[in-house]
Amino acid sequence: MTTPPSSPPAVATAAGGAPAPQAEPAARRPRRFRVVGLRTIPGRIRLYTAASLLSVVLLLGVTMAAVGNARDGVQTIGHDAGPQVMATGTLYFALSDMDAQVADILLIGREHDLGIGRAESLRRYEQRRAEADQAAVQAAQIAGRDEARRRTVREVLDGLGRYERLVGEAMLLDRQSAHPAGELPQNVIDTYRQATDLMKMELLPRAYNLTLDSGATVRQSYETDRDAVLDGRLRVGLAGALALALLIALQVYLAGRFRRLVNPALALATVLALAVVAAGMAMLSAQAGHLQRAKEEGFDSILALNRARAISHSAFADESRYLLDPGRADTYEQVFLDKALSVLYVDPGLRPLNLETYYGLLPGAVRSYERDPSGPPVEVLGLFGEEKDKNLAEFEESRLRLTVQAYQRVMDNDRRMRELAAAGDRRAAIELRMGRQSGAITAFDSYDQQLTSLIQAHRDEFDRAVRAGDDGLGGWDVLPPAAALAVAGLVLAGVRPRLAEFR
Amino acid sequence: MHNRRLPRRGIALAAAAAAVAAPAGCALEPEADTIVGARSLTIGVKADQPHLGLRRSDGRYEGFDVDVAVYLAGRLGVPPERIRFRTTPSSVRERALQDGTVDMIVASYSITAPRKTKVTFAGPYYVPHQDTLVRADDTSIRSVRDLEGKRLCQVTGSNSWRRVTEEREIKATLVRVDTYSECMDLLDQRRVDAVSTDDLILAGFAAGRSGRILNAPFTDEKYGIGLHKGDLAGCEALNRAITRMYQDGTAARLLDKWFGKSGLKLTTSIPQFEGCS
Repeated sequence: MTTPPSSPPAVATAAGGAPAPQAEPAARRPRRFRVVGLRTIPGRIRLYTAASLLSVVLLLGVTMAAVGNARDGVQTIGHDAGPQVMATGTLYFALSDMDAQVADILLIGREHDLGIGRAESLRRYEQRRAEADQAAVQAAQIAGRDEARRRTVREVLDGLGRYERLVGEAMLLDRQSAHPAGELPQNVIDTYRQATDLMKMELLPRAYNLTLDSGATVRQSYETDRDAVLDGRLRVGLAGALALALLIALQVYLAGRFRRLVNPALALATVLALAVVAAGMAMLSAQAGHLQRAKEEGFDSILALNRARAISHSAFADESRYLLDPGRADTYEQVFLDKALSVLYVDPGLRPLNLETYYGLLPGAVRSYERDPSGPPVEVLGLFGEEKDKNLAEFEESRLRLTVQAYQRVMDNDRRMRELAAAGDRRAAIELRMGRQSGAITAFDSYDQQLTSLIQAHRDEFDRAVRAGDDGLGGWDVLPPAAALAVAGLVLAGVRPRLAEFR
Repeated sequence: MHNRRLPRRGIALAAAAAAVAAPAGCALEPEADTIVGARSLTIGVKADQPHLGLRRSDGRYEGFDVDVAVYLAGRLGVPPERIRFRTTPSSVRERALQDGTVDMIVASYSITAPRKTKVTFAGPYYVPHQDTLVRADDTSIRSVRDLEGKRLCQVTGSNSWRRVTEEREIKATLVRVDTYSECMDLLDQRRVDAVSTDDLILAGFAAGRSGRILNAPFTDEKYGIGLHKGDLAGCEALNRAITRMYQDGTAARLLDKWFGKSGLKLTTSIPQFEGCS
């Protein structure tokens, strides 16, 4: 690589503007160098040095930009929008559980101690009401200036006002009639129908869509941030390669010109640059991984499972509605089946898709969650089906298995309750559904606990990934500029004695 | 040799620098097929469902689904003149999306778990219910349970009758025909007593006839918009467009335009979306 002093025209013209006095870094440079410019050895050294330093600045720039992208990504999904979106999921759950409590209160009538009891249901109703308010405020905050979303939040709050009025009316009529459990007068049923229809048709869809829509925003910013981090990694690699090539070129040139093997300062600068580039690229790969883990194994699963939990609670309330409103029993049974299918779907094949078939297929589906399932493979879809197909940690897998097993016990109770009701023994059906000892409530609570702890497992995974993202970025605001300064200093230290030889 | 070497290296370095400085987002992973930003759209619709998706004799399509498709495409920035409609019968819907024959499908396409494994669904943009159509003078049938012992029209290839006789185990006598319009004729001729399927389909076929819809719904269907599997950006954009369609009153207007005279109870508040996956 011994380039003769007679430089080719292309470079000479390209660098023609460079030797202008104001562009020169050092004022005390001897005059003659400026005159002969790049055709001389010192001129060539200066050119290489300037190019190396510029490439280090470029490397610093792209590294800082990539670090910024990575930081934005962790901030959005881990600290701002991610947790906020998860919080809006509470809105749907709280609303749907309010209506569930009302159904229970109306079903038990004057028998205040059935089920969890009237007082406890009222307490939960109030609690959910407060939670819904809080979640609505959250949702309004996330909506920001998005007019469509703000309007949706307003519509939910308006609807909630109307809903509460109807519920108040239904409860008043209910108290006045002092009916035995399951024998509601028609006026209570009619008023409750209006309330629950309002909830089902107008409130719940909007609450659900709000969470989906703000979740979509998180997905988009996740995709953008992660792409930016990966692009950043590529740029750091390219800028790093450029800087290293220039540093090595300078080294080789000096070795050729001055008959010395190695310029130690320059070599150190090269090694340092290489180390920072390698560390930067590794850090960015790791960040992309943390983001992906937080999004896919944390955020996505948490949203899906919270949805499953809200749907399960409202399906459980459909059992109460099925008992309290015999005129709509068919509809509530169908709605229950639809909800069950959206939580855990099993293909009925040629059999009719009704609850009877579902009860029959469920054990096989639940078995397929075992580590080594026996029998032919069963395709399970729905929210729990999608979770199963994910790449789960062993711990999450075992909690998912426990959850679907508990779900099956809830379904067993549902079957027994409907058999009793169909046989005309409504009293026994109500006692099974509402009794404290007889199982339905206990089984549902234990399912809910399993599901909650499964959600917690994903929440832990999410927190771990976010923490790893935060930790991985630690120091990266200071390290690149410091390293760039050190490299630049070393380059100058390595070149200066050589230039001094020309004075 | 030395002389030529330097400029070439210079060019290589300049190219490297340009690559480093290039704007983001183009090189690494190509985006999945999406309808967002498309200049034109091919939309699959039905050709044989009056008031939903019907191909007229002049080759143009009309109906609720068609109007919804035009509105939503407009929200995505595609004007009507850049939309091409294609007839997509139920049996070819998944295939038409997979092989790219159509970009999206708005064709009384119910969202189901098995279909979701092959298709990304936006919406639902409407939740019809299975309901029952009887003769206007028939007061003996008030809900689906009253079909016990009655003659129910069974259309080949449709599953609606199964929801009555199999899922609910209501013992109705099935009378088999090939299309719903034949059912309407048989109903007029008193050769069947009832036709049961999605209420929007019933309302469309019953238009201009004397039948009466019970308004006793017993299922929730979910009419979604089918997209290429994985087009999440398109799905999210369509969900926002559907939200607008309900908020700005277009949905209510279109429902009234096509089904207002049918006597069917229509829902004009936004359905609960399925979520994009």
